Amino acid sequence: MTEAGRELPRLEARAKVTGRAEYTHNLRLPGMLYGKVFRSTVPHGRLRRIDTAAARALDGVHRVITGEDIRRLIPEPYYGPAFHDQPILALDKVRHVGEPVAVALAADPHVAERAVQLIAAEYEELPAVYDEVAAMRPDIVVHDMLKPAGTFADLKHLKGRTGTNVALDYHLRRGDPDEAFKSAAHVFEHTFKTQQCLHVPFEPFVAMAEPADNALVIHTSNQTPSFVRTEIARLLGWPENRVRVKVPYLGGGFGAKVYVKLEALVAALALIVRRPVKVALTMEEQFYVITKHPTTFRIKSGVDTDGRIVARACEVFWNGGAYADIGPRVTQKSGFTSPGPYDIDNVRIDSYELYTNRTPAGALRGFGIPQLVWAYESHTDLIARELDVDPVAFRRRNILRDGRPQASGTAMKDAAVAEVLETLAARMGWNDNQPFDHGGGAIRRGRGIAIGFKASISPTTSVAIVNVSADGSAVLYTSTVDMGQGSDTAYAQIVAEVLAVKTEAVRIVHPDTDVTPYDMGTLGSRSLFHMGNAVRLAAEDALAKLRALAAEAGLPEGTNYPPAEIFKKRFGMQAGNVIGAASFMPTYKSPDPQTGLSDNVTPFWMIGGAGAEVAVDTETGAVRVEKLVNAADCGRPINPAVARTQLSGAATMQLGFTLSEVMLLDGGQVTNASLADYKIPGIRDIPPMQSELVAAEQHSGPFGAKGLGESGTFGVSPAIANAIHDAVGVRITELPITAEAVFRALRQQAGRPLEDA
Amino acid sequence: MIPFDMVEPASLQEAVSLLDPQEPTIRPVAGGTALMLMMKSGVFQPTRLVCLHRIEPEHARITLVADGALRIGAMATLRQVEKDADVAARLPVLKRAMRTLSNVRVRNVARVGGALAHGDPHMDLPPVLAALGARVAIAGPKQSREMPLEDLYAGYYETVLEKNELITAVMVPALDGRKAAYMKVTSRTADDWPSLGVAVSFAMKNGTISDPVVVVSAATAKVTRMKTAEAALNNAAPDDASLRRAGDAAAEEAEVLSDAHGSAPYKRELLRVYLRRAVRQALDGSAE
Amino acid sequence: MMTTARTIAFTLNGQQVSTMIEPHRNLVELLQRFDLFGSRESCGQGLCGCCTVLVDDVAVSGCLYFAVWVDGKSVTTVEHLDADGTLSPVQQAFIEAGAFQCGYCTPGFILMSHQLLKEHPNPSDDDIRHYLSGNLCRCGAYPEIIEAVKLAAKR
Ligand SMILES: Cc1cc2nc3c(=O)[nH]c(=O)nc-3n(C[C@H](O)[C@H](O)[C@H](O)COP(=O)(O)OP(=O)(O)OC[C@H]3O[C@@H](n4cnc5c(N)ncnc54)[C@H](O)[C@@H]3O)c2cc1C
Ligand code: FES
Ligand code: FES
Repeated sequence: MTEAGRELPRLEARAKVTGRAEYTHNLRLPGMLYGKVFRSTVPHGRLRRIDTAAARALDGVHRVITGEDIRRLIPEPYYGPAFHDQPILALDKVRHVGEPVAVALAADPHVAERAVQLIAAEYEELPAVYDEVAAMRPDIVVHDMLKPAGTFADLKHLKGRTGTNVALDYHLRRGDPDEAFKSAAHVFEHTFKTQQCLHVPFEPFVAMAEPADNALVIHTSNQTPSFVRTEIARLLGWPENRVRVKVPYLGGGFGAKVYVKLEALVAALALIVRRPVKVALTMEEQFYVITKHPTTFRIKSGVDTDGRIVARACEVFWNGGAYADIGPRVTQKSGFTSPGPYDIDNVRIDSYELYTNRTPAGALRGFGIPQLVWAYESHTDLIARELDVDPVAFRRRNILRDGRPQASGTAMKDAAVAEVLETLAARMGWNDNQPFDHGGGAIRRGRGIAIGFKASISPTTSVAIVNVSADGSAVLYTSTVDMGQGSDTAYAQIVAEVLAVKTEAVRIVHPDTDVTPYDMGTLGSRSLFHMGNAVRLAAEDALAKLRALAAEAGLPEGTNYPPAEIFKKRFGMQAGNVIGAASFMPTYKSPDPQTGLSDNVTPFWMIGGAGAEVAVDTETGAVRVEKLVNAADCGRPINPAVARTQLSGAATMQLGFTLSEVMLLDGGQVTNASLADYKIPGIRDIPPMQSELVAAEQHSGPFGAKGLGESGTFGVSPAIANAIHDAVGVRITELPITAEAVFRALRQQAGRPLEDA
Repeated sequence: MIPFDMVEPASLQEAVSLLDPQEPTIRPVAGGTALMLMMKSGVFQPTRLVCLHRIEPEHARITLVADGALRIGAMATLRQVEKDADVAARLPVLKRAMRTLSNVRVRNVARVGGALAHGDPHMDLPPVLAALGARVAIAGPKQSREMPLEDLYAGYYETVLEKNELITAVMVPALDGRKAAYMKVTSRTADDWPSLGVAVSFAMKNGTISDPVVVVSAATAKVTRMKTAEAALNNAAPDDASLRRAGDAAAEEAEVLSDAHGSAPYKRELLRVYLRRAVRQALDGSAE
Repeated sequence: MMTTARTIAFTLNGQQVSTMIEPHRNLVELLQRFDLFGSRESCGQGLCGCCTVLVDDVAVSGCLYFAVWVDGKSVTTVEHLDADGTLSPVQQAFIEAGAFQCGYCTPGFILMSHQLLKEHPNPSDDDIRHYLSGNLCRCGAYPEIIEAVKLAAKR
C-alpha cells in the first residue's frame, strides 16, 4: 500500500492556514435577513402571551415570528431523530430556560438583537425537575404525552404514553446475576455521577435557508445533511428532492451538530418571509441548544476468591433534558457496554433516558461511553484496591479477550483490548519493578489507568460516488462532513489507493444533497468504517469500469494503462468519464426486546484507554496532571499523523470534562454560559502527552481501518480519579474533579470536614 | 450591540467636560475591552462613549520620578507596563503579574486607567499596586485629587469616582528594598479569573517582618487590606508558626464570598495557605 | 437612537481603503464588509483568539475592538500573510506539524505566533505558552501548535 497509511497533511491545509476555508459562517446572500432568537426565561411553564408589538415597531425590523406563525406553515412543527417532541418555536409550553420562543428578523443583526430585547412573554410557571433520578418519579412530567418518531422498534412501546419522563428504558439480562451475587466472595457497590457539559464547537451553530424555485436550499454547519433533508421534507410535507442541504467545512462539531438544530427554524422563517434567512448563534446561545448527558450510575460487582468478576449489575440514569434528541439511542447503544470491557457471565443492565427541564442532551464525543467508563473504571479500581491487587493485574485477569462474547452476546472481534491495556501499562512504566515515587510534603503523586470500549452505530448506510475524468483525475462525492477529523483526506487516500493515483489527485465534493449521495451521518466514529468502505467499493467499481473501457478500446487485458490513455483510446480524445458507485451497510441484529441480547450488535468495536500521573497539592486539593498517556485501537490507520491528533484532541477535550467543565444551574438558569466561566482547557492546561495507536487491524474495515474520533475520551476521567486515589487515598465519585472537591475529600478523610458554603 | 455615539476629545479637560455627572449611559472608554464585554452582554448600554485615545500623549507615559517612584499614565497600555525597563528593574512583581493578566491581545489594547477603574474584584492590577502603596491621581471638572489605591474601591464593581472624573495616573513608590509578591490562585483552568488574589509587601529588619501590607482580592467583594494579618506579621520572624498565625488572621478577617470559583469556606482555606506562600515567595523571589 | 456613521480611512492588507461605519460595530464586522472571514467571532470575549487581527502590527481581539478605531491605522489579516504567493514560515510550519483540525482557531494562532516570533525569535516553551495562552483550540491541537511554532522559529 502506498496511499492508504501515508502520512500527509490534510488536503485543505492551505485553505485553513490562510483563513480561506469555507464555513457556513462566511456565507451571505443578497436580500438576506438575520434572525435573532428570543428565549424562554423560565424552565417549565405554559406560554400565556407573547408581546411583540414594541419589537415590530423598531426601525429596521422586518418581522417577528412566533410558534403560531410557524404552525400556520407547518401544522405539526415538531422534530427530532428519536421523538417528534421538539417544536421549532415554543408552542403552548416551554420546557427549559433558553428554549426558542420567537425570532426577530432584520437586515442588520444588531437591529434584530435590539428587537429581541423588546419582546416580552408571559408564562404560567410549572414546577420543574432537573435531576435524572428525581425524574424517575412521575410527579413532575415534562411532556404530557410521548411521541416516538416511529423509526426505532425499541421506542414503539412508548407511543402515546402519559405520566412519565422515561424516554427509553433499556434492559439486558445475561446469566443469573442474583444467584451469582449471592455466591460471590465479595460484593462491591458504588454510585458515580457526571455533570452536564457542552461541546463548544468554535464555530457556533449557524444555518441559512434560501427559498428557490419550487425548492428550498439550506446551508448549514451540520454533521448529518442527509437526515436534515429527510426531516425538513417530512415537516414541510414535501418530497425530499425539493430540499437541498449544503455543508462546507465545520468549525468543530463533536456531536453537537447532528440531526436538526437550527435547520427547521431557518427553513420555516425563509418560507414565511420568502427571503434568505440566516441564524448564527453566539457562544452563549450554544448553552441552550445541546449538551452532554449528566448521569447517575449505580454499579455493583460480585468477585470470586480468585479475583474474577462473576456478576455485575448496572443501573444508569441519563439526564436527557427537555427534548429527547438522540438521547434514547445513547441510552441503548451505550447501555449494553455499561459493564465495561470485562468477561462477566452474569450481567444485569437497566438504563433509563429521562426528560428533565434542562437544555437537551445528545451525543458528545463518545455517545455516552465516557460517562460509563468513568463509573466502571473507577469502580474496577476500587475493587482492585479493596482486594489489594495491582489495578493492572486485576484488569488483566478480567478483560474481554478477542473472541469472547461481550455482555450483549456479540463477540469481541478485532478488538485490541489487551493490547491497549498492555500499551498503557508499558508506557506508564507499570511493569518496571521500580517503586513509584509518591512524593512527600504537601505534594503527593499518584498514577492510574483506565480502559473503555464502544460499539458502532448500527445498522446504518453510506453511499459514495467516484467520478474519474478523462484525464485520470478523480472526484469523490460523499455526504460525510469534515469537521476537523480529516475524513476528506482519508477518503482521498482510499480512492487513490484503489485507483493507484496520488491522493493529491483526488478532489472531494462537499456534502450537497442535490449532488452527493446519502449518508446516515458523520457521528459515532462511524464514517471511516462505513463511508470508508463505501468509498473503497465505489472506487473499485470505477476501476472495474475503467478496465471494461480498456477492453472495449481493445487494450490487452492485464496491462496497466493510465486512465487518461484508456479514455483517449476509447473516445479518440480527452472525453467521457467513468462513474463508480457503491453503498455499504453492515449486517446487524437488533437486541432481543426481553433480554437485550444480540450476537451481532455492532460491525466493529472501538477500544481506548488512558494512563495518568498526577500531583496533588494536599494543602489546596489542586490536581496537576503531570503525564497523560493515550492508547487506542483504530485498526490500521489510513493517516497515522492525523489519527494520533484525533487521539490527543479527544483526550484534551475529556481533560476539560474531567477537571474544569461544568454547566452550572440556578433555578434552571445556566449561570456560566460563556467561555469566561465555562472553562475549557487552554495551552497551559495540557500535560505532557503521549498518544499511541496500537498495532491492530479491522478486517472488515477499509484497508484494515476503523473509527477513532471518540476513543481518546474513554479512559481519561477515571484514570485521573484513580491516580488521585493512588496519590492521596481519597475517591472522587463525581465529575468534574475540582480542587475544592479533592480538598473536601481530604478533610473528610482527616476527620475534619470542611463546612458547607 | 446597540447603537451609540462616540466622541474623541483631544484633551483630558475636554474629555472630562464631555462626561455628565448625572448620566450613567455616558462613559469614558480607554481600551474598551471591559466595556465591550459589558455592552455585549447587555449589562451596559451606552448612549455615548468618550474615547480617550486622542488626549494628550503624556497620559500614556511611564516616567521615573525623582524619588525613584514610577508615575504610570492612565492611558499606558498594560503591555507598555509589562515591557517597560524601569518597571522590570524596580517593580519585578508588577512585571510578573502582567504575564498572567488576561492575555497578550488584551494587554495590547487595555489601559491602566481601565484596569483600575473597572472595579471588578477579580482583577490583578489593583491588589498588586495596592500592596505596593500606590496612589491614584484623579481629574475632575473643577479639581484634581489623589488617594491610596485601595480607597478607590467602594464595593463590588464600585469605585468612588464621580461619573465625570477620570483617573490620570497611578504613582507607585520605590520599593526601597521592600519585598513583594502577588499570588493569583485559579481553581479551574490555568488561565482563569482567580478564586483568590493575595498581594504582600514588607520590609525585613533584623530577620523580622516590618511594616507589612497584605491585600486580598477576588475572594472578597472588593480589594481589601487585611489589617489583622498585617498586625500578626509585623515584627514577626517569617517562620512557619507566624505565617500560619497571619494566614489564620486573614481567613478570619476577610469577608469571603462563594461563587463558581469555590465556596467561601474553601477560599478561606486557600487564603490561609497562600498568604504563607506569598510571604515566602516575596522572601526568596521565586515565581511560584 | 442616534448613531452617526462616520468615514474611516485605513490601510487594509497593504491597500488604502475607506468606508462608512457606525461606532457600535466591531473590527470583525468591518472586515466582513471587505469579504475577509479569516478573523471570526467565536467566544466574543477576548478569550479564544479566533478573531485575531494585527492593528499596526500588534495583535488585537477583533471582537473587542471598535471598528472606528482603525481609522488612520494599518490592519493586517491572516489573508495577507501569503500575499506574495508563498505561505509565511508560520503557516508552512502549521501545515507540516498538523497544528489544526477544524481550522477555526488557526488564523488566530498563526497571527499570535507572528507577534511572538517578532518579539522572541527563539521562544522558550514558556514564551510560547505565554503568548498563546489567549488562544483556545477546542480540537485540542495544542501539542502540534507548540511544535509548529518551534519549527517556524528554526526557519
Ligand atoms: C479575555 C479577557 C481576560 C481578562 N483577564 C484578566 C485577568 O486575568 N486579570 C485582570 O486583572 N483583568 C483581566 N481582564 C480585564 C482587563 O484587565 C480589563 O478589561 C482591562 O484592564 C480594562 O482596560 P480597558 O482600557 O480596556 O478599559 P475600558 O473597557 O475602556 O474601561 C473599563 C472601565 O473603566 C472606565 N475607565 C477607563 N479609563 C478610565 C479612566 N482613565 N478614568 C476613569 N474611568 C476609566 C470605563 O468607563 C469602564 O467603566 C480580562 C479581560 C478580557 C477581555
Ligand atoms: S472571538 Fe474574539 S477572542 Fe474569541
Ligand atoms: S482546530 Fe478546531 S478549534 Fe482549533
